[in-house]
Amino acid sequence: MTRRFFPALAFVVLTHGAAPALAQDALVQVRTRGVLRWGGDIQGGEPYAFRDPHDSARLVGFEVEIADALAHRLGGRAEFVQNDWSTLIPSLERGDFDVILNGLEVTAARRERVAFTRPYYAFSETFVVRRDDGALRSLDDLRGRRVGTLAASLGFELLRARPGVEVVLYEGVEEPYIDLEQGRLDGVVLDNIIADRYGLVRPTLRAAATVGEGTYAIAIRPADKALLQAVDTALGEMRRAGELRAILTRWSLWNERQERLSEVAPAAATQAAPGAVTVSQLLLFLHATGFTVLISTLAMGLAVAGGLVLSVARRYGGAPLRFAATTYVELFRGTPVLLQLYVLYYGLAPLLTLNAFTAAVVGLGMNYAAYESELYRAGLQAVPIGQTEAALSLGMSRRLTLRRIVLPQALRVALPGIANDFIALLKDSSLVSVITVVELTKQMTITAVDVRSWAWPGLLCAGLYLALSYPLSRLARRLERRLVPVPA
Amino acid sequence: MNNGAIVRVRGLRTRVGDVEVLRGIDLDVQRGAVVAIVGASGSGKTTLLRALNYLTPFSHGEVVVAGHRLQPGMNERADAALLRQVRTRVGMVFQHFHLFPHLTAVGNITEAPRYVLGVDPMAAQARALALLERVGLASHGHAYPHTLSGGQQQRVAIARALAMDPDVLLLDEPTSALDPRLVGEVLAVIADLAAGGQTMVIVTHEIAFARRVAHRVVVVDAGLIVESGTPDDVLERPRNAATRALLALE
Repeated sequence: MTRRFFPALAFVVLTHGAAPALAQDALVQVRTRGVLRWGGDIQGGEPYAFRDPHDSARLVGFEVEIADALAHRLGGRAEFVQNDWSTLIPSLERGDFDVILNGLEVTAARRERVAFTRPYYAFSETFVVRRDDGALRSLDDLRGRRVGTLAASLGFELLRARPGVEVVLYEGVEEPYIDLEQGRLDGVVLDNIIADRYGLVRPTLRAAATVGEGTYAIAIRPADKALLQAVDTALGEMRRAGELRAILTRWSLWNERQERLSEVAPAAATQAAPGAVTVSQLLLFLHATGFTVLISTLAMGLAVAGGLVLSVARRYGGAPLRFAATTYVELFRGTPVLLQLYVLYYGLAPLLTLNAFTAAVVGLGMNYAAYESELYRAGLQAVPIGQTEAALSLGMSRRLTLRRIVLPQALRVALPGIANDFIALLKDSSLVSVITVVELTKQMTITAVDVRSWAWPGLLCAGLYLALSYPLSRLARRLERRLVPVPA
Repeated sequence: MNNGAIVRVRGLRTRVGDVEVLRGIDLDVQRGAVVAIVGASGSGKTTLLRALNYLTPFSHGEVVVAGHRLQPGMNERADAALLRQVRTRVGMVFQHFHLFPHLTAVGNITEAPRYVLGVDPMAAQARALALLERVGLASHGHAYPHTLSGGQQQRVAIARALAMDPDVLLLDEPTSALDPRLVGEVLAVIADLAAGGQTMVIVTHEIAFARRVAHRVVVVDAGLIVESGTPDDVLERPRNAATRALLALE
């Protein structure tokens, strides 16, 4: 939640404050510092920009080499700035770096926000399917099917324009192909570089068609006209000198499509006001809110039941059971829920193929069960021994005593904590976007790209979360108050 | 039960850590009898009472209660069935009541009949209301324990134990935790039960009450029964020094 949400709010706050600093052309700063800061996401992996497997302190990739060459021509050195790929443009606007150089496709929508240099690479959009799925030949066959691509990519634009296709969004390039192999997707549409290196290396997959073409170019803030000019000129010199070709050849990326690139000119920014939030976008928000509520509620139900089993096992079970339950609690509390979701969805995929929704509910539920069990444990400890003695002396069995006398009292003690955890879960549910579930926060980031502003989607998203959590926090406080006067 | 006793204790010894709390107790309780156990604090009288339904385990000897034999080394898990049978027939009233706070007065009283004996809910409710009337709380059926005074809570606890129709009712200092002005109402209920023929074993500090209600008074000192007999014999003509010391505190 915080990871994605804060940048949105920060952007709202910073838009005005940042403006004066940007008045001076970035080229001046680049020359003064002797550093060209370029933004990218190493999660994009080989061959763009990624950690050298032999020396993890070093970045390698064809874009790293292009950046180094460009910086050299500008009279300085290149400095890489890591940033989530789907939020590269807002971060550029914030001034986190001077240029974006990371497989950013030139699209009409992006040109409304940034200026592009001449392209440095021409790609095709490859449609990959399973080898055993002969029915799929083109995008027209995809109605009612699930197709994966990267968030905010050209592939997303292409797929979204086709009604009836269920688009599933990813943040990494490996995961969509894993899901395609597992049958959780019917196809993947991504740039040919990605398809060649991550998709078609899998023997069960095949390329069905080329469904589009495009170019990668370097994105620069529209106001930095001098920087755009300088970088574009440097790129042109690199092409003429054969330097660009040498780099691409070194990375096995050179093909005849690149020959035609010399004719393509830089793409200036087009003027457009930030789009307004439309009714259909509002409906998408409500739909995503429904998902957030549904996932949180089901996961909480699972957590409450699972936590109960864990806490009873820890208090009343034999040594092996106690050990198992304690290990579970320590394991799930001691590792990030994001990692657990990832392992459950991708890591276990060869053994257990859960769909994204189930994995989200189970993953969050299993994580929160560990926390709930601690609440119950405190609750169980708070029930005086006299209660158990009174029940036993009435001839009640140990099991009946637990179920009818001890647990109801323990639950009351735990209830405010459970309500508080539900609020936390509501917000943590935003993490399930890593396993392709589009819930409220993910919808916010998608809409923000569409309307070219984080302000409205961000505030709307915050408002919806508050509308969900505020009644819960009121309830939690009421429960706490009600419990206080009851003596044990 | 050849001598008609509902409770028979023989050679009872209990060790808590290094301390021998009970050092060889023999005791018979006849059907319909009211036995008062008196003694100084720490003499072992509460431990003796709790041994009778095995809430506190013992290390030597035996207890035969309501036709079942309790022996050393039994435990809650392995001997659950036998202990349940015993406790279904032996009621217990605690010093601190231990009412179930999440249940109403009626809920407290109907809990065991319904879930242990399987009594029909309507029948259990009717019986609970009758018992509440008997302990003078007819209008408090829907009250939760925390809204009741200590005396009222203890009377609900007595009704809860009576709802199982116990062969013998064990009362562990039933008035010790009460405000002095509330003691009378609880003692009146117990006296009423005695008059009705309910077999009872009462651990108490209320010597005057024991004199009035008990058929037999047992004096426990340092883990042994030092004197036993009618209230007249024991309380008017005490022969043992411990008994005299106890009475001197009155």
